[in-house]
Amino acid sequence: MAVLASTVVGMAEIEIIKGQGILSCLGLGSCIGLCALDAQAGVAGMAHIMLPEAFADKPVDRPGKFANTGVPALIQLLEEAGASKNRLVFAMAGGARVFKFSAGTHSRMDIGARNNIAVLESLKKLNFRLRGTETGGNLGRTLTFNVETGLIRVRTISQAERDLCNLRG
Amino acid sequence: MGVEESLGLDLMQQSAIREIANIGLGNATTSLATMTGRFFNMTVPFVESVRLEALPALLGGFEQLTVGIYMKVEGDVPGYMGFLMTWESAQSLWQSLLGQCPQTLEDIDPLASSTLLEIGNIINSGFLVAIGDMTNLELRSTPPEMGADMAGSILSSIVTEASMGDFTALSIRTEIFDESHSFEGFFVYIPSNGGLQKLFETLGIATPIAEEAA
Repeated sequence: MAVLASTVVGMAEIEIIKGQGILSCLGLGSCIGLCALDAQAGVAGMAHIMLPEAFADKPVDRPGKFANTGVPALIQLLEEAGASKNRLVFAMAGGARVFKFSAGTHSRMDIGARNNIAVLESLKKLNFRLRGTETGGNLGRTLTFNVETGLIRVRTISQAERDLCNLRG
Repeated sequence: MGVEESLGLDLMQQSAIREIANIGLGNATTSLATMTGRFFNMTVPFVESVRLEALPALLGGFEQLTVGIYMKVEGDVPGYMGFLMTWESAQSLWQSLLGQCPQTLEDIDPLASSTLLEIGNIINSGFLVAIGDMTNLELRSTPPEMGADMAGSILSSIVTEASMGDFTALSIRTEIFDESHSFEGFFVYIPSNGGLQKLFETLGIATPIAEEAA
């Protein structure tokens, strides 16, 4: 069996693949892994988003870091690689709160939940919808995206890998 | 990327950080030994700066089951502190402290979680006390939080919170282990840029840190 080249998308990174290959985000905690595909052009991408919004007073060094810059940047890179905006479909996973045990009450903000909302809003603003999503909860996730088959899978520490959706389906 | 490259730390500053880690680790191992009745060693405190992205590999990979206890530090040197250990190390601690240990994540009951939260508290506080003693700066910790999950998701969640502010991508890796090496852990410290500067100023070894996009 041929082993497909696997590209790990690190924090704040955006990766684009044409043709075949596997994109993955390993061990997503509060971060979001956002997958996109133009099946006809065979162009796919994945963004590993860390935070909801870029800071107003600081230059954005890596657009993939933030939802409000990462979503448009992912789309732009896909278009540059030959994708057409009106054929793009999306799926995402992540946004968990892995520090579930606490001595007191959780006083800090839930970044995972905010990331989830921010990515949804950024997509909505551009009139995109999600084909599949699995966010929130307390479990870290690994997200894999087989570009050729369109299959997106999620696995966690305690659950076997399972299909989230198929972006070609 | 070493400390020097990322921060422009000079030799004095590197050795100050090393000394703080040395004392902090000493405090932590002493408290840990008192609490558990076990003997702990620490590595000659060779403090190194590891990119946080590199830590999952040390814990056995991004998807390796890891227990992390972290807390936010407030005061003169705000930042984040975390202590990470493999699941097997956590089980070893539970076994010696409680006489039993959870076999799966679902088995972590309130007693088990509060026990490890306290251990994390002790280790992290050892470092806080060391900094406070050396500098007279005021540092306060917030209640610790704990997670047991993939190494990547534990670490990235810490990094994400730190990356919301102006924090130095500095992490200090140290090791604490027992005689049979059934317990081993890593300590991560992420101070704010301003706080680190203040720390060096207090010690009289500050140099202007060049403005640099993180």
